[in-house]
Amino acid sequence: MTAATDMTSIPGATPIVRKTPKATFDLVFRNASFGAALLVLVLLAGIMASMVIGGWPAFREFGLGFITSSVWDTQNDQYGAWPAIVGTLSTALIALVIGVPLSLGIAVYLTQLAPGWFKKPVATAVELLAAVPSIIYGMWGLFVFVPLFAAYVQIPLSNIVEGLPIVGTVLYSRSPSGLGIFTAGIILAFMIVPFIASITRDMLEQIPSVLRESAYGIGATTWEVVRHVLVPQAGVSIIGAVMLGLGRALGETMAVTFVVGNANRLSASILDPGSTIASRIANEFNEAMGLQLNSLIALGCILFFVTFVVLVIARLLVARVKRY
Amino acid sequence: MLSTLELSPQSLDAEAPVRIAVKNLDFYYGEHKALKNINLDFRDRHVTALIGPSGCGKSTLLRIFNRIYSLYPEQRAEGQIMLDGRNIISNDVDVNELRSRVGMVFQKPTPFPMSIYDNVAFGIRLYEKPPKSELDDRVEGALRRAALWDEVKDKLKSSGMGLSGGQQQRLCIARTIAQKPEVILFDEPTSALDPISTGKIEDLLEQLKSDFTIAIVTHNMQQAARISQYTAFMYLGEVIEFAPTNTIFMNPAKKQTQDYVTGRFG
Repeated sequence: MTAATDMTSIPGATPIVRKTPKATFDLVFRNASFGAALLVLVLLAGIMASMVIGGWPAFREFGLGFITSSVWDTQNDQYGAWPAIVGTLSTALIALVIGVPLSLGIAVYLTQLAPGWFKKPVATAVELLAAVPSIIYGMWGLFVFVPLFAAYVQIPLSNIVEGLPIVGTVLYSRSPSGLGIFTAGIILAFMIVPFIASITRDMLEQIPSVLRESAYGIGATTWEVVRHVLVPQAGVSIIGAVMLGLGRALGETMAVTFVVGNANRLSASILDPGSTIASRIANEFNEAMGLQLNSLIALGCILFFVTFVVLVIARLLVARVKRY
Repeated sequence: MLSTLELSPQSLDAEAPVRIAVKNLDFYYGEHKALKNINLDFRDRHVTALIGPSGCGKSTLLRIFNRIYSLYPEQRAEGQIMLDGRNIISNDVDVNELRSRVGMVFQKPTPFPMSIYDNVAFGIRLYEKPPKSELDDRVEGALRRAALWDEVKDKLKSSGMGLSGGQQQRLCIARTIAQKPEVILFDEPTSALDPISTGKIEDLLEQLKSDFTIAIVTHNMQQAARISQYTAFMYLGEVIEFAPTNTIFMNPAKKQTQDYVTGRFG
């Protein structure tokens, strides 16, 4: 109030009332961006709600047994998610076991070792692989990889391990068609490598060169620099990249449906056909109704939950690494 | 000993053997010739300062002594740098072994992503496999020499990244001296530090020269005057003048040196 009186009391001064158009813009902009942010929450809540509501009859009918049961019988309307859950987790795990070392190797080679003329083409190829649609991976996997895998890996391997304890079960293929959990894991590994490799490469490149120089500067070899300094330095981000890859592996539908074999039974062998949550939904959604449809939606809920748990574990891991 | 000499650390021993002899050294970044015909002697257990305006090539020169430039394929050196009778820029030198004998402390502190203890033990473990108790002793000894022991002895297992900038730099010095190198290179080691931390590092350099041959690049002429016994003034890739520090600062032979040390350019 005093300021206003002061202003008017200046002799000869006309108070300026400045109405800036910016104020209106600012208000509109703020509300628009708030709306955009809110939309994310609304969408997420909407999807979650419809999944839970859609899947509810299945959960009510089977209870906890829906998760632990291995039966998937459309004739008698009995459904259990266990084989699909195991299939999802094991294909993703296989993909990580194969894909993570491969990705780290690519990233380290590109940032530390590759000569200049070789760096560009490989880096571009990695980016391009990330852009290949999953249906292409699926087709290539089914028509090219699967027959080769059956002829040169499944059959010889099954012959070798037949009758042996443990490996004779886990690595024995009863029907060496090339399709199966392990094949899906390999295809998934090819699919997540570009993601993990290119993010890891970016992270390694962001490490200040002076840190790298000082690690070399005390006489460490390239392996020691990478193993003890660069990778731990980028550690949190690399875990983030791996989790991103895991997320993709868990939810990937098309390519997996092509090569996983789509068996409803749970086999002890990773070379046998199986199914994942996503592949089962993709296979049956078209013709499903009633309790079967509810069960498929409930499967979706579980996938949602599994992905969420993976994210939480990722956060915990990241927090643990950050402390150091 | 004369009181004037006690006041200033420029107590140089002209008879001290030459530890590093640089002869007719040229250095190239690709096509660009960054160093021209450098000739310098670094005396054993003395501090030699490299001064000069930005871009004069002093850091470039320092980075040749531990072959860190070899990480970059487009950089090359020609000429001779003799260390213990070997030309260290020849291709048959084991650069990793060389770097364990010629330590380097950088402009910015570079603690490794591991515990304080492991930071210091890392360099030792690369070349030796001492039993745990000996390793403990050497880590403690290096931290004591770097005047850091009292500040970190209760948290050796915590991360080196959690220390302050000055502490991190002393950790890097501890890491370097734990390897028992013969030569330590300092590339503007205090330019990222506050005055108190800078003072501590300077005191440390004074202590370290009884055991190590030290080469230091610095932008700070007072620092060069305080801590070094020999000073090389460089300009545009050449050594303009190389003499005992007192001579460079009190009675330089070249006008360019005079202009630089009195702050008329640079």
